[in-house]
Amino acid sequence: MDRYVIATGTITHAVKGRDLLKNKGIKAHIERMKHQAEKYGCGYSLLVTTNNISFVENLLKTNNVKVLNVSKL
Amino acid sequence: MIYLDNAATTGKKPPNVINAVNSALKYYCVNPGRSGHTLSIKASEKIYNTRLKTANFFGFDKPENVIFTLNCTNSLNIVLKGLLSSGDHVLISNLEHNAVVRPLMELNKNHGVQFDVINAFADDIKSELKEKVRANTKLIVSTHVSNVCGKVLPIKEIGNFAKEHGILFCVDAAQSAGVLPINIKEMNIDYLCVAAHKGLYAPMGLGVLIISGKTPKTLLQGGTGTNSIDLNQPLDMPESFESGTVNLPAIFGLSAGIDYINNKGLKQILTHEKMLCERFYNSLKNNENIMFFGYSSHNAPVVSFNVKNYSSEEVGAYLNKNNIAVRTGLHCAPLAHKSLNTLKTGTVRISPSVFNNTAEIEKIISLLKNMR
Repeated sequence: MDRYVIATGTITHAVKGRDLLKNKGIKAHIERMKHQAEKYGCGYSLLVTTNNISFVENLLKTNNVKVLNVSKL
Repeated sequence: MIYLDNAATTGKKPPNVINAVNSALKYYCVNPGRSGHTLSIKASEKIYNTRLKTANFFGFDKPENVIFTLNCTNSLNIVLKGLLSSGDHVLISNLEHNAVVRPLMELNKNHGVQFDVINAFADDIKSELKEKVRANTKLIVSTHVSNVCGKVLPIKEIGNFAKEHGILFCVDAAQSAGVLPINIKEMNIDYLCVAAHKGLYAPMGLGVLIISGKTPKTLLQGGTGTNSIDLNQPLDMPESFESGTVNLPAIFGLSAGIDYINNKGLKQILTHEKMLCERFYNSLKNNENIMFFGYSSHNAPVVSFNVKNYSSEEVGAYLNKNNIAVRTGLHCAPLAHKSLNTLKTGTVRISPSVFNNTAEIEKIISLLKNMR
C-alpha cells in the first residue's frame, strides 16, 4: 500500500473527503497541512493509504471535494 | 410565565439542545478549523456533521454550501448585498420583514438597485409576478411564512416561476424552518436563509445560509484557517463566508434541535401548534371585542389580533402582567402591516411552540374575554 498526502485546504473538504473515503473502506486521516504549508500557509490535508490513487482522486473530484495537491510519501 | 412568543425565539429549548450546548462548552470549547490538535479536529467534525444534517433536513446534497452566519438577517444581507449591483431589479412580497426591506432600501439609495413589491394575497401569484417582472430582474426574495399573520406563501410556485425566467430565488425561512417542510431542490430555491433559534430550537446568535445558486460576494473578510499565505479572501465555501470563529455551542445546539424535530416529527409538531392556534381563534372569533388579521386555517402557527379600544401594546402589557408573553407592535414588518391595514395600530401576536399546551391557550382566551 502507498501513502499519499492530499491537500484539501479547508477542514470542511478534509472531513467530507475523509468520510467519503472511509465509506469506500479507504483509510484516511486528517492532519494539518505540512508539506504544502510553504505554498498555501494554513490548511488541512488527508493522509491516505491506497493502491489506487486515481480512484481516490476521482472519488473526491466527483463529490466536489477540493484537491489542491497530491503527493506520494 | 406562559411563553407565546416563539416566532421571535423559541423560549423553551428541548433538553437534548441544552445538553448539546453544555457539552460544547464543557468538552469541545476549542477553535474549530484552525488548529491541528485532536480536539480542534473533533470539533470540526461535529460542525461538518451539522452542515450535513442541515443540508439533509432541507433536501440538499452539498454540506459545504451550508454557511453558518450570525442570524437570518445576516444571511439575507449576504444574498442581497453579495449579488446585487447597479441596474439590477428585485421582486419581493408585501409580507417581507425589514431584514429584507432595509438592505434593499440601502441598495436602492446608494447603489441603484430597484425593487418592486408583489401582493402575497393575490389569488394568482404567477400573474402578479408576470406583471412586475422586468428584463433586468435578477432576484426574487420571498418570505416563506409571514411573521405577522402566519400566511404561507406558495414557494414552490414562485420557485418555478423564477427558474422558468432565469431569475435567482431567495427564501426567507426565518418563520418556516423547522415548522414547514422545505426542499431546496424541489422548490427551486437558490438561497435559503434560516434562523436557528426559532423553529429549529437552537440558541440565538446563529443563522444559516444555504447556497444552491450563484455564489454571492462575501461581505466579511478575514481569517478562515485556510490558504493564509494569500492576502485575498479565499473562495472556497463554506469558510469563505465564515471569517472569524464560528459559534460552536450554537451549532451543537442546532444539530440537537434538528435531531429533536426529526425524532418528534415535523408534521406532528405542526399539527400540535396549529391545533393550539385554531383553538385560540375558534374560541374568540365571535367575540365582538377581538379582531383577527389575516387568519386562515392554512396558515403557519402564528395568529395576529387586536382588542377593541386597546392598543396592541396595552394588550401585551395586560397579558404580561398576567404572566403571558406575546409580541406586540409592528414585528419589524411594516409592509405586512400595511397590507393588513394595521400599520397604525400594530397587532398582538401569539406563536406557540411544541412545548405549549391547551391549558395555556385556555388561560389567554379567558384573560382576553375578561379584559376590561
